Amino acid sequence: MAQNIWKTAGFALIAYVLIMVFAVPMGPGLLELRETGENTNEVVLGSNALEYHLTGFGTHWSEDPEQLQVILRSKKNLALLNVIEVLDDTHARIGLSLPYSLPSKSWDVLINHPIDGTLLLENGLFLSDRFVDESIVLPKVSIVEAEPNLPFHFPYQPSILETIRNLMLHVPMWFTMFVLMGIAFVASIRQLATPKAIAEDEKAEAAVKVGLLFGLLGLTTGSVWARFTWGAWWVDDPQLNGALVTVLVYSGYMVLRNSLESERLRARLSAVYNLFAFIILVILLMVLPRFSESLHPGKGGNPGFNSYDLDSALRAAFYPAVLGWILIGIWMYRINLRFTRLNKQLR
Amino acid sequence: MIGLTPILLQTHPLEGWFFSSGKALVVLAVTLMLLVGFGIWMWRAEARLKKMERLLNPTESNKQ
Repeated sequence: MAQNIWKTAGFALIAYVLIMVFAVPMGPGLLELRETGENTNEVVLGSNALEYHLTGFGTHWSEDPEQLQVILRSKKNLALLNVIEVLDDTHARIGLSLPYSLPSKSWDVLINHPIDGTLLLENGLFLSDRFVDESIVLPKVSIVEAEPNLPFHFPYQPSILETIRNLMLHVPMWFTMFVLMGIAFVASIRQLATPKAIAEDEKAEAAVKVGLLFGLLGLTTGSVWARFTWGAWWVDDPQLNGALVTVLVYSGYMVLRNSLESERLRARLSAVYNLFAFIILVILLMVLPRFSESLHPGKGGNPGFNSYDLDSALRAAFYPAVLGWILIGIWMYRINLRFTRLNKQLR
Repeated sequence: MIGLTPILLQTHPLEGWFFSSGKALVVLAVTLMLLVGFGIWMWRAEARLKKMERLLNPTESNKQ
């Protein structure tokens, strides 16, 4: 009974993750601050203020509309904007009345709201028609950062939006593949140490087969994700190409196995090939992305996720997903191994 | 009124509808059923393997 607990745990974890993926709502965020080309009726600093439309994602501005604060930020300079009208939960009319000379043309847009908390749109406003004078200091504005008053939610991330849920399917596929290819790597080393027996070769073959399946699932889920966030099914990116080459290298392992008749020769050659395949996997998926720019999250030093990409709400679903898929992958490997051995006995 | 801009187009209207209309829960139910089905299939496959292993290797099975 105790032997089966980890198998049940794998499926229970994935069931929990799926419930999280489909039931947890997305948090609020800011989409854009766009000029409408109209003048507002108010006159500030001798000229009419320009009207802008602020668009949010999943925000709640019509609840407590008078509490909505819109702020521009450039380094230490802050400017409070006038909220003309809240149109609905996600749209508001804003009046922009800044002097002609400003310390910067590019500004972050922040909002404060009692329900949504403080939201940031980095470089959300570019004032191309203003004169830049870095010595200018705008009048001080005191703003208190607000905490969101919302139930448990996944974080808003620009351009990823709802597709962040795919994180629980895409990344664990690669983790599981790593573990299975690691099992195959150890089995291949053992195989080379005991050339007369082929038990370890069978283990390596079973692990690579299941690992390849997870690799293909990783490529598929990644490609679908890329289509929705980058606009293309595949982009010429070191991380993506590295993943594809890794899967192709392991496909080569299967081709090599099937091309050899002698069982012992197959076991030895495949084991040597597998050692190099695993080294290539580590180089292409773990080392190379650290040295190259990439569209993939974590460029510039970390091929995975950093604290910005993965907050505590995502971790609550992501880590169980990784563990669950690894347990299921190991179970699949064990069934595959036993099936292969039985098949050989029956021949 | 507010027009669609390239940035706004990133929020597909289906996304909001998918979650607000409760269709996400239907997909969740189907996915859970598939997961349970896959789990049962794995369980039964392992049970059959165990049965065949006992038939083919009765001595080893007794040792275990």
